[in-house]
Amino acid sequence: MKKITFLFLIAVLFALGGCAHKELNKQDKFLSAAPRSILIVPVVNNSIDVTAADYMLSTLTVPLAERGYYVFPINAVKRVLEDDGLADSSLVHTAPTSKLANLFGADVVLYVVVERWDARYAVLQTTTTVAVYYQIRDGKTDELLWDNRVQMVYTPDAGSPGAGGGAAGLIAHLVVKAVVAAVEKAAPNYMPLARQANSRAFLYYPGDGIPPGPYVTAESQKN
Amino acid sequence: MRASIKVSGILLLLIAMTGCVAHSRYNWCDYDTKMYSHYKNPAQREAFVQGLKEIIEEAEPEGKVPPGIYAEYGFALYEEGNHQEAIAYFKKEADKWPESRVFMTKLIAIAGNRAHAQKENAEASPETLMHAEKDRQKSSAEGLK
Repeated sequence: MKKITFLFLIAVLFALGGCAHKELNKQDKFLSAAPRSILIVPVVNNSIDVTAADYMLSTLTVPLAERGYYVFPINAVKRVLEDDGLADSSLVHTAPTSKLANLFGADVVLYVVVERWDARYAVLQTTTTVAVYYQIRDGKTDELLWDNRVQMVYTPDAGSPGAGGGAAGLIAHLVVKAVVAAVEKAAPNYMPLARQANSRAFLYYPGDGIPPGPYVTAESQKN
Repeated sequence: MRASIKVSGILLLLIAMTGCVAHSRYNWCDYDTKMYSHYKNPAQREAFVQGLKEIIEEAEPEGKVPPGIYAEYGFALYEEGNHQEAIAYFKKEADKWPESRVFMTKLIAIAGNRAHAQKENAEASPETLMHAEKDRQKSSAEGLK
């Protein structure tokens, strides 16, 4: 009887192992490349919103560094590329990855393309639909190591009506919502949207995100 | 109404309190917002450079300076023409993050050349300027002929 239980357990372990392996496939190449440093190059913007690329470029560093990688200084990189005649981000994206990586001594290069970024304004709320494509390529072989596409609909949060407020509370809440929507239309703040898109792209792991980098894994080994 | 005033007061207090406190591995001190403001209003350079300096001042005592920040600040100084100080920050970046060394070595060399050229210009400038002035007079005189 004990033997059967044991065999059963082994079978279950194999089955589980199989699943885990399948899920990790997406990052296999990334894991074997084991990069320490990520070069973020300027973002290509194919959307109708002119500010989208700046929002994305500004917000990529924090989540990747917190994930445990060395991230090159985005503005210094952008300026050096401009001086090298690569002021247009689409030119940077078509240059060989190995050439870019060599220039900065980077292990991998992150390319981000904003495919869609449309805001729809209404009295009570603004909704913005975005689609962003992320790619990480190997700095030696130019090979694609990881990619992810994030599509989401974003609405600035005006909170929810407080409990027990009754009709007055509801009206007050609607006023707050209308004010939030008006402010958003006058001067949209897409910082939270950009941060959310990046978190979705990078942080689900295991899943479709990026494996933890050397500065995170070194720390967990210490503990 | 009174409740909502109270709530907004608490919110303001919370925002003020979270100013530059690190909730994570590094102390970013609003790095992403500062970057975006720089791209949106490139003319406000002073605020950008000051903002980078602030991150270092806040994060350095607790050893939480994020990767790339010394280099970013150094590059801003370099663009201001402050080449010597720029080099000091490029060296700091290279010391703290070995991954940055290839790039920092290049930046140190570029800033070093500029600093050298600046120094030579400063030493040679009276004479060169005089020559330039003579040349200008000569060429305009020739132009008149």
